Amino acid sequence: MRLVWWLTAIAVVSLMSIALSERRTLDPVQNLSLTVTAPMASGLRDAARPVDDMFRGITDRGDIVRENRELKEQVEGLQKTFAEQQDAQQRVRELEEALGVKQGRPEDQLLAANVIAEDTSGLKRMIAIDRGSGDGLDEGMVVLSRGGSLVGTVARAFEDFAWVRLITDPDSTVNAQVAPGPPQPQQTPASDVVIPSTPTPVPGSTPPSATPAPTPTPAPRADSGEYVRGVAEGDLRHGLLLDLLPPDLTLAEDSLVSTSGLGGNYPRALLIGTVESVEQRPQSPFTRATIEPAAALSGLDTVLILLSFQPARLSGE
Amino acid sequence: MRYLLALLAAAFLTVLHVSVIPYVEVLGVMPDLVLIFAASWAVVRGHEEGAIVVLLAGFLRDLATSDPLGTSALALAPIVLIAAAIRLRAIETEFVPTVLVVACGSLAYGMISMTVLAITGQTVVWDHAVLRILLPACLVNALFTPLVYVPVHAFSGQGRVSAIGARRLTSPL
Repeated sequence: MRLVWWLTAIAVVSLMSIALSERRTLDPVQNLSLTVTAPMASGLRDAARPVDDMFRGITDRGDIVRENRELKEQVEGLQKTFAEQQDAQQRVRELEEALGVKQGRPEDQLLAANVIAEDTSGLKRMIAIDRGSGDGLDEGMVVLSRGGSLVGTVARAFEDFAWVRLITDPDSTVNAQVAPGPPQPQQTPASDVVIPSTPTPVPGSTPPSATPAPTPTPAPRADSGEYVRGVAEGDLRHGLLLDLLPPDLTLAEDSLVSTSGLGGNYPRALLIGTVESVEQRPQSPFTRATIEPAAALSGLDTVLILLSFQPARLSGE
Repeated sequence: MRYLLALLAAAFLTVLHVSVIPYVEVLGVMPDLVLIFAASWAVVRGHEEGAIVVLLAGFLRDLATSDPLGTSALALAPIVLIAAAIRLRAIETEFVPTVLVVACGSLAYGMISMTVLAITGQTVVWDHAVLRILLPACLVNALFTPLVYVPVHAFSGQGRVSAIGARRLTSPL
């Protein structure tokens, strides 16, 4: 009988605590706890990393893994540059079509943060960082890797710490765009980006400069070099999926996926990753692709928070 | 005094859990040392002490993770029940019951955690989570049980022999 009382007491206390936690009443307690444990956790992480490398080295892969990580960061940076160039081309075209539109993204202001903990439950993809609302963080802010590609968003900000929801978390959705063709940097040198040719008018419509009213967007074509929009969703099975793509889209592997900026929660042209595989089913209304994230999400030690971009608060506030 | 030690041990294991354990991935999951600790304590020290340690360890764990505070305490609670139920059978060892409690407790922990996450509005992929996370976690946590069980057993003042066998358990119910 006492056992039943014990279990009842645990259940009652736990449920009350969950309710309070959801109302954010216990945030100061969690912030205090992280303040106390963060130095120890950081120290242990720093100590564990070489040990982890050592075990990898036992299988004769230590140096290769480290070198591979550095090369991946370089590739990530180059991919980001390339994605930005592609986006710049597209953007110049669009700006020329809609005269008077000014640059919507000011110079980025970034804040570096150390990763102090990871969620190990396997049910979520979250990391804890040592920056919080006291440093200017707010929930929904965009988090980038050192290479500048998208890592996730701030999910919960305490005073001195924050939990970041990675893009591979099941609750993460990002409006994305993909350039359907494979990357071909030799065809788009930087000098060619500056002045695009005159845009081709849509048949049957007046020139865009004379018509501020929206014109119908032509259907995306895989061979046109235009971006195709979709939604990048976190998935526990595949990591990251690009969904809601047109059903007849021909999508090459290694195509670059970046943020589209739609919805206002993410700035435009942040590199998300590359297309790993494409799934098209006859009965499915959309094409789906698996994305390889550009940032190495499993071994993050430092991330950058984009302070200068204020995400649109679409949910409730 | 024993609860203070349990608190410190649980706090240390919680910090390990979020800092070092992410580097220890077996079968796609990571061992849960806090759960193993709570299960070992409940078997070795009895279910009443186990209940208090489950509560302490659960709250400490939630303070260091992104789960709503109280989730782990609730999810670890079945361990107390399982530990008491296993004591209904007289067995010559505490180690085997601990492994069983850890395995069953991992399953119960996962199911309750997922339920709480779903209720609090987070996405839970049930089939994937059960097949790819919960079932491997049962096995992996059972495999890592000796790492935590042996120190807990040593602290409880029992000899090396009884850690493996030669100690008859009786039902507390």
